[in-house]
Amino acid sequence: MSLAPVVAAVGATPVASEHRGCNLRDLMAEAVLDCLADAGMDDLSSVEHGLTSYESDHFNLGMTLGAILHDTIGMIPKPNVRIEGGGATGALALRTAWAHIQSGLCDSILVYGCEKNGRGVSSRTANQLFALSADVDWEMMVGGSYTGFYAAMIRAHMEAFGTSEEQFAHVAVRNRHNAGFNPIAQKPMDISIDDVMNSRPVAEPYKLFDCSLLSDGAACILLSTEEWARRHCPAFDRRAPVYFVATGCGSDTMRLGDRYPELTNFRAKRRAAAQAYAMANISDPMREIDVAELYDSYSGVEIQAVEDLGFVEPGHGGPSVAGGIFDLDGELPVNTSGGLLGRGAPVGATGILQAIEVVQQLWAAVDPQRQVAKARRGLTDTHAGIASISVVNIFERRD
Amino acid sequence: MTEKVRSKIDISLPQSATAGDVWAQFRGVERITMELTQSYKYSLGKVSRFFMELENGRFLATRCAGCGKVYAPPRPLCPNCLAVADWVELSGQGVVKTHSVLHFSPGSNDDVEALETPYVLAYVLLDGADTLFPHLLKATPDQVHSGLRVRVAYSEKPVHHPIHLMYFVPVVERERQ
Repeated sequence: MSLAPVVAAVGATPVASEHRGCNLRDLMAEAVLDCLADAGMDDLSSVEHGLTSYESDHFNLGMTLGAILHDTIGMIPKPNVRIEGGGATGALALRTAWAHIQSGLCDSILVYGCEKNGRGVSSRTANQLFALSADVDWEMMVGGSYTGFYAAMIRAHMEAFGTSEEQFAHVAVRNRHNAGFNPIAQKPMDISIDDVMNSRPVAEPYKLFDCSLLSDGAACILLSTEEWARRHCPAFDRRAPVYFVATGCGSDTMRLGDRYPELTNFRAKRRAAAQAYAMANISDPMREIDVAELYDSYSGVEIQAVEDLGFVEPGHGGPSVAGGIFDLDGELPVNTSGGLLGRGAPVGATGILQAIEVVQQLWAAVDPQRQVAKARRGLTDTHAGIASISVVNIFERRD
Repeated sequence: MTEKVRSKIDISLPQSATAGDVWAQFRGVERITMELTQSYKYSLGKVSRFFMELENGRFLATRCAGCGKVYAPPRPLCPNCLAVADWVELSGQGVVKTHSVLHFSPGSNDDVEALETPYVLAYVLLDGADTLFPHLLKATPDQVHSGLRVRVAYSEKPVHHPIHLMYFVPVVERERQ
């Protein structure tokens, strides 16, 4: 008998470059209605706690969005917490909700996240706002940007291990292809390695198609004890129970340069993975995990991630990825949703969307063209900045 | 007819209702411009001396009084020992460890806005330091590689943010000691 929370229900809006007809409240409300339909519930009256997940007050033009959204979706007067953890916000929100259930503080909690990163502001404003999430005096003011920091890291990886641009182009191609089987994906594309290689340089060695998307979207997950789900969520008994069995978190310095001599990989991710694997009793993740959503903010980041998550040996990420073992028909399919490159990344919802993909894979409820057969255990990998915060969450089907 | 709403960008009305659309009555959308202008009195805090000395053509770092680690950029408090650091002066010469060639500027401030693209963002291990210093390297992208010797150059022109009082340039052969 496990005390781990179960996933009672999930909901999401489509991910888009711009949801012009919705402000943030509208988007969140649509995702919550989708979740209610998934749960087979009429309202949220039985749900005890809320947890708001969004990153940026500036993008969303509001400083108390936790309270505003909590009000919008009818959760007043129940307790609420707002979580922010950069790009890792959604995964950190789920981790926090996990602790709320495990501690006995509540038996049910709705984790709801959203962001409008799309076209609400100009590219210049968007770049300035994202640059503010770096070290302001030392990295932002010298003309640095996250694309540049990631590019400097993958260059170090290329020099240390012989990783090639064609190898990370494989990720850019595959994830956009996978997005074609996901009805909520923002930008499915069937492109070739050559298309990626020939796209315009953004921050060398990264080119346009190596970069993920700016997105609008909202998503939510209803977590609860198994007993609560059986009592209040009619859909729960109709499908295989999926447990949120483990969560790990790690951190690293804000500035890449302070990590010297390590420039190639993500220490925070190794730490988060080790913690989550210990909690889930996993010793050989490549064999013991069936499906994973990895944080592909840039194509090469997935190559670094498969190493730091222990799927392959350090330095082996490039050839492993290019060899296809993480493709839909490979040994461990990753980013079946399309990832940040193809499905999109509305920041506060991203980690939640990753978890939804994994959970729906475990329910065997996704489009057959991207369904991983007999998936029983899935992982999400989400990070902030260049992994100054990293979160690994693990879900397991038990029936 | 003059526009009654000065900030209005556009409105869009649905051509026809989609059958079964629960939001059918809410599909008309108006967009307006919202302006948010901010200016801060921003303290550079305990690393201020680094920036003040750049005006004098001197490059400072901090050395942890506990473990001896030298931080460039400076850190007043060593995160490893939580010991308060001492200021030390470095020669300003160093070596590129990794870099990126950026084809767009994030426009973070007027100094960055003025940059011509592409430009090089280099991570430099300064002689005597234990961390990497990220800054602009004024060199043609083809010139730049890991291992390239560079030095701090000091700006002659007035700048917006004091970090732009410096940048890196390649060390040419005759400059080498």
